[in-house]
Amino acid sequence: MGDRVQHKKPSMSAEAREWLEQETDAQERRYAGIVAEQEALTPDREQWYAQFLEIVSTRGFNVTGDQRRVIPEDELPTRPDRDDAMNVVW
Amino acid sequence: MTRPHIEPYVELNEDYKAFGLPGFTGSDFKTLSLDPETGACSLKVRFNAGYSRKPGMSYSDMELFVLGGTMQLGDQVIGEGHYLFVPAGMALPAITSEDGCETLVFFNDAEPHWQESDEHHELTLKAGYVSLNTYKDAPWSGGSIVSPSVATGCMIKLLRYDPLTEAMTFLYCMTPEFMQDNISYHDCGEESYHIWGTSWMMQFGDLPTGGYFWRPPYINHGSFRSKLGCIALGRTDSKLHNYFHFNPWTNPSENLHRAASMLYRQRPQLFKWVAAHGGHNHPHGPVGQTAAVAPTDVAPTDVAPNDFEHVDYGDDPQVQMLANQVMRFLEADRSGHHHHHDD
Ligand SMILES: [Fe+2]
Repeated sequence: MGDRVQHKKPSMSAEAREWLEQETDAQERRYAGIVAEQEALTPDREQWYAQFLEIVSTRGFNVTGDQRRVIPEDELPTRPDRDDAMNVVW
Repeated sequence: MTRPHIEPYVELNEDYKAFGLPGFTGSDFKTLSLDPETGACSLKVRFNAGYSRKPGMSYSDMELFVLGGTMQLGDQVIGEGHYLFVPAGMALPAITSEDGCETLVFFNDAEPHWQESDEHHELTLKAGYVSLNTYKDAPWSGGSIVSPSVATGCMIKLLRYDPLTEAMTFLYCMTPEFMQDNISYHDCGEESYHIWGTSWMMQFGDLPTGGYFWRPPYINHGSFRSKLGCIALGRTDSKLHNYFHFNPWTNPSENLHRAASMLYRQRPQLFKWVAAHGGHNHPHGPVGQTAAVAPTDVAPTDVAPNDFEHVDYGDDPQVQMLANQVMRFLEADRSGHHHHHDD
């Protein structure tokens, strides 16, 4: 195995370290904002999921490309009794 | 450490910040996502009118996509739709922007790093350099470069492909009234920036112009719609396989188990080798073990992974036959390589 340029990198400068810390903090706030925003969408999402199950059981589910399979009623999933069931941001 | 799940994030609503790191003075930036440990990041960077820097190199692979405006790169003028992949250690000529330009900039290995140099680092993998105008010099092709495939109406232009990891950078578009009625997830991290237009996913809602996501592996996304069409820059960090299904409530762990079950069924010898050599002290791997429920005398890695979709797949005769096969070379491999801590 040969060496790579990346392995020769000088360690992070103090300036870069500070930049990274600031941006990491900002990203944590951004993440928290996204989680809150997405939680607020839950009522819409419940409808979207219901519409989706309606579509895959009538017009069909895209197996690959444009190939569709109509999902029989007894194969349709049901919402599990679990705290993270409506999570979309992980 | 890795980047968190940032989805969706609409950067147009945020302000630019002055960029003070070497090589970037005279530009402004917004962070789209970053790895808190390595500093690897995706940024939107605005090079302001009059920006200039000397020839230089980075110790990280770098990608750049021009959203608008022009930039002088040595004796070349690059503009809207231009894409660069610059391998770590490759010196770029001087860069100036007389009238300014807006770009996406990706540092794949480390923080935004640049140092003045007019010579390539001796270890640079210069053959990886890519420079092309993606709008003018690359055709749209059907989205079915991988199978299972997206629906017709989602097209791509592959810009860069890493032969070691199968990481890709690509443009993609969706035609007006595009629809794809399935839920997708992948083994890879997936990233996208919407250059123009809006698409919709039933988890996250609308992703408009300026919308961005960094999505870690095994996270559900889709079904998909685009009312009026969109064009976006996409990237993956390794191989993209479309795992499609129709259960909106699965979590990333269930999705991963299902992916593992597919490896078990579809690449049985590889699954056994990985299970045997994967650092779990199991020199014998799951040979012959097909039950979907763990017998008490067999370690968990010896068991067929759970598949929420095909719960009883372990009973399938073909799956059982495949699981019971022992390749002669695999036997030799086993007796010859006991470098794991199995006592
Ligand atoms: Fe995807």
